[in-house]
Amino acid sequence: MSTELFFVQLINGLQYGLLLFLIASGLTLVFGVMGILNLAHGSMYMVGAYLVWYFVAVTGSFTVSAILSAVIALGLGILIERVLIQRLYNRNHLDQVLLTIGMIFVFNSLQSILWGNDPYGVAVPEALSGSVPFTDNSSYPVYRIFAALICIAIAAALYFMVSKTRLGMLIRAGESNREMVEALGVNIKSLYTIVFAIGVMLAAISGIIAAPMRSIVPGMGESVLITCFVVVVIGGMGSIKGAFVGALLVGVISTFAAVLMPTMSNMVIYLFMILVLLVKPQGLFAK
Amino acid sequence: MIFEKRTERIVLAIFFVIALCIPLFLEDNSFFVGKVTTILILAVFVMSLDFLVGRVGLVTLGHALFYGLGGYLFVILTPEYEAVNFWVYAIYVMGISALVALVVGVVVLRTSGIYFIMITLAISQMVYYFFFDSLEFGGSDGLFIFMKPDTSIFGLSFLDLDNPSHFYYLSLLAVLITLVAIKIILRSRFGRIVEASRLNPERTEALGYNIFAFRLISYIIGSTLAAYAGLLFALQYGYVNPQFMTWEMSGTALVMSILGGMGTIYGAILGTITYEGLLYIFEHLSDDWMLFMGGSIILMVLLLRKGLAGYLEKLLEK
Repeated sequence: MSTELFFVQLINGLQYGLLLFLIASGLTLVFGVMGILNLAHGSMYMVGAYLVWYFVAVTGSFTVSAILSAVIALGLGILIERVLIQRLYNRNHLDQVLLTIGMIFVFNSLQSILWGNDPYGVAVPEALSGSVPFTDNSSYPVYRIFAALICIAIAAALYFMVSKTRLGMLIRAGESNREMVEALGVNIKSLYTIVFAIGVMLAAISGIIAAPMRSIVPGMGESVLITCFVVVVIGGMGSIKGAFVGALLVGVISTFAAVLMPTMSNMVIYLFMILVLLVKPQGLFAK
Repeated sequence: MIFEKRTERIVLAIFFVIALCIPLFLEDNSFFVGKVTTILILAVFVMSLDFLVGRVGLVTLGHALFYGLGGYLFVILTPEYEAVNFWVYAIYVMGISALVALVVGVVVLRTSGIYFIMITLAISQMVYYFFFDSLEFGGSDGLFIFMKPDTSIFGLSFLDLDNPSHFYYLSLLAVLITLVAIKIILRSRFGRIVEASRLNPERTEALGYNIFAFRLISYIIGSTLAAYAGLLFALQYGYVNPQFMTWEMSGTALVMSILGGMGTIYGAILGTITYEGLLYIFEHLSDDWMLFMGGSIILMVLLLRKGLAGYLEKLLEK
C-alpha cells in the first residue's frame, strides 16, 4: 500500500467513523440515561435520509430540507417517547427489544408505502460539490470533508451540552440516580422525553448528512444499526466518549479491511468487538 | 406429571390432537402441510431459545447462528449424490454443533446482561458474513441438498422424506421430543440449579455451584436443539443459505417466544403458531403486511405483558 493510498484510506476511515459516531451517540445517550435499548434507532437514520431526499425534491434546497427534516425528527422523537417508550420504563430489556422490533416493521412499511422501494440519491449541494486536490493525481470531495466537520461540530456540541449545561447536568444526574433527581423536584419524565427526542434527532441528522454520500435504500437502517451496536459495545454502553473512540476505531478498521482483505472485510469489525469484550467485558470506557 | 399447570396440559392436548390430524384432512393440499411443517420446525427452534432466554436467563440475539449451522453442517458433511442415513447424520450434525456451542459458550459467557446480547449478536453476524462471503460454501446463494436422506433404523424404514406428510410427522416428533426433553431437564436437579442461578446467581454460587458450568451446559443443549431444527428446515426446502442465520431470524424467534410467554416452553409453540398465522393472514390481506405485523407486535407488548400463555393462565388457573 502506497503512502498516498494509506492516507486516503485513513481519511475515508475517519470520515466514516465520525458519521458512525453521530448515529451511535444517540443510541448510547438514550441507553445511558434511560436504560432503553432502542433497536429502531437505525430506522430513525433511515427516516432522516428519506425525509431530506423528499424535501430536496420538493424545495430544491438542501439546507432548508435538512433543517425541516431535523425538526420533524425531533417531533417524531417526542411523539414516540410519549406514546410508546414511556410505557416501558418499568419493563425489562426484552420488552424493549420486542417493542422496538415492532417499530422497525412499522417504519419500514411506512417507508415503502410513502416512498416506494426504489433506491434514491440526493445530489451534493452545489456549494460543496467540488473536490480538494490531495496530491498531483488524487483529490478528495469537499462534501465529505464538510460532513466530517459537521460531525465534529455536533460531537463538540454534545460534549458541551452534557458537561457544561444545566440540561447536561440533569442528564448526568438522572443517569446515576433517578429517584434522587426526582426527589429534588426535577420532572424526570420530561427530561426523558427530551433525551429520547435528541437521540432520534441525532440519528436523523446522520441520515441527512449521509444522504448525498450514500444511496437511500430500504433496509439502510438495519445495516447501520448493527454496526452502531458494535461501536457502542466496544466503547462501553452509555458512554459518549466510548462511542466516539469506538466509532473511529470501527470506521478505520473496516475501511482498511475492505482494501486489504476484501473477502473477510465484513467479519473483521465483529472479530474486533469480540476481542475487545474478551479483554474488557464491559467495553473500553465502561462506567 | 412433567406438565404442572392445567393451562399447559389443555393447550398441549389441543395442540397435539389437532397437529396429529392435520395431514389426514389435508392429504391433497401438500402446500398447506408444508407450511405447517415449517411452523413446527420453527417451534422447535423457538422452544430452544425460550429455554435459554426464559429459564437459563441467557438473552441471546444470535441463536440463529446454530439454526443455520445445522443446515450447513449437514450439507457439508454429506456426499453430494448419495442418500445418507438421516439419524446417523443428525447425530453428527448435533455433535459438531455442540462442540461449536462449547467454544462459543466459553467466549460469550464471560459477559452478562446487555453485553451478552451484543456479543451473541456479533458472533452470529461474524459467522453470517463468513458464509455470505465464502466461495467454497456458495456465498449468498448457499448450498443445495440434492438427495433426501433415508430414515431407516436397522433396515426398517417408516418415513419417506419426499412425502410431505411423512416429513410433517418427523417435525411433529421433533416438537414432542424437544418439549419433553426441556421439561425433564427443567424438573431435574440440573434444571433447578440452572433456574436458581438465573433468579439469584450470587446465592447459587455461594451454595457451591459453579454457575458458569451450568450455564455453559445449558447453552450447549439449547444450541444443539436449534441446530436440529435448522437441519430439518434445510431438508424440508432442500437448501441452506446465510439467510438462515441473520439477526432478523434470531430477533423474530425472540418475538415469537415473548409473544407466547417467556420461559413457559409450551408458550413458544403458541407464540410461533400465532406469529406465523398472523403473518400468513396479513401477507394475504395486504402488500403492507409489515405495518400490521409491526402494529400487532407493539400492541401485544403493551397489552399482553406475560404473553399468550400468561393470558391463558389468568383465565384457566385457579
